[in-house]
Amino acid sequence: MVPFAPEPIVRLGFFNVTNTLLDAILVDIIIIGIIFAMRKRLSLVPGRFQTVVETILQEFYNLTYSVAGSNASKIFPYFMTFFIFILIANWSGLIPGISAVGLRENGTLVPFLRAATSDLNVTLGLSLVSVIATHFLSVKKLGPKTYLTRYFSLNPLNMYVGLLELIGEFTKLISLSFRLFGNIFAGEVVLGIISTLFAFVLPLPFLFLEVIVGLVQALVFSMLTMAFMSVLMTSHAEEISKEVSHQ
Amino acid sequence: MDFLKNLGFDPVLLGAQILNFLIILYLLKRFLYKPVLEMIKQREDKIAEGLKQAEESRATLEKSLEREKEILREAELKAQRVLGEARQQAEDAALQINENAKNEGERLLLAAREQIQRESKEAEERLTQKITVIAHDLVSKSLEGLISEDEQKRILRKTMDNLKNVN
Repeated sequence: MVPFAPEPIVRLGFFNVTNTLLDAILVDIIIIGIIFAMRKRLSLVPGRFQTVVETILQEFYNLTYSVAGSNASKIFPYFMTFFIFILIANWSGLIPGISAVGLRENGTLVPFLRAATSDLNVTLGLSLVSVIATHFLSVKKLGPKTYLTRYFSLNPLNMYVGLLELIGEFTKLISLSFRLFGNIFAGEVVLGIISTLFAFVLPLPFLFLEVIVGLVQALVFSMLTMAFMSVLMTSHAEEISKEVSHQ
Repeated sequence: MDFLKNLGFDPVLLGAQILNFLIILYLLKRFLYKPVLEMIKQREDKIAEGLKQAEESRATLEKSLEREKEILREAELKAQRVLGEARQQAEDAALQINENAKNEGERLLLAAREQIQRESKEAEERLTQKITVIAHDLVSKSLEGLISEDEQKRILRKTMDNLKNVN
């Protein structure tokens, strides 16, 4: 049975190097490898690898632009990085044999690597970055005064709405982190159980399901972040004028 | 907090993961998104510029072809005009040459005629002189011894006068 908490592999004083941290480092290495490979091949006449990377980035940028409009250039780096990081982290847990290599402690195997997103610290960290970056971009775009009027007002009705918005910001943090953590951790558990029961063939449909879940969860997290950023970077006045123009 | 602890919450790990993600965010933004999107933009600009240049080249080519046709048309007209003028000049020159040749011929003919007439006259005069001399000699020889010298001279003078009158 996979424990909720990540298992420490090495202890460096008060700092535990856990298997999810090692997995996060593996994800970093993969991403840095992609960056190096891309930088090496980058040219005006693209090769196959550059075409794939450019197509993905272009499509995601267009998607961001269709949602956020002129704010797309600010939101895109967060949206894209969340997607890439979470996707690779999710899929890293599906590498065949990843949970079979590790340390044996008290008769149980502690794998060196475990999907980083099956660790609440990672998903909570990502959610914190998402929420803080959203508010940082909002203040930068709208200015502190306009930003604060979203949450604080002398009008009782608006004050109530502002309170709900404040609560909403905390629920964003919880929903983003626990959704990702829950889905990926559950996938780890399901795959662990199925692989224990049936070593061959039968785990394959579950493995395929987890590939889909990993992709969907990466998209959900990154797209929600993009939507939150887009909403918070638009002032109430702009929202109203947009609604009027739609009508 | 116990609930979070049971789920493996660790503030140090949380901080490490946030830092890790921020580093990756910076690296991707600085070394992947920016250069790739700039490259795409650069390519789009180049393609747009290429299309614009191609359109301009096509327009220039069309204009050049039109100009070429116009020049050829003008050249053809000019050539026809020059040819016409040359033909006219040649015809005029031929007419002039003919006229000159005719005049020269007539002049030469006239000169020849005059020379013939002159030579004929000279020959006639020379012949007359010769005949006169012969007639004088013949008459003087014929009369020699028949009549007196005065009579001879008179007859001879009369014969000479008659001969002159015949001429």
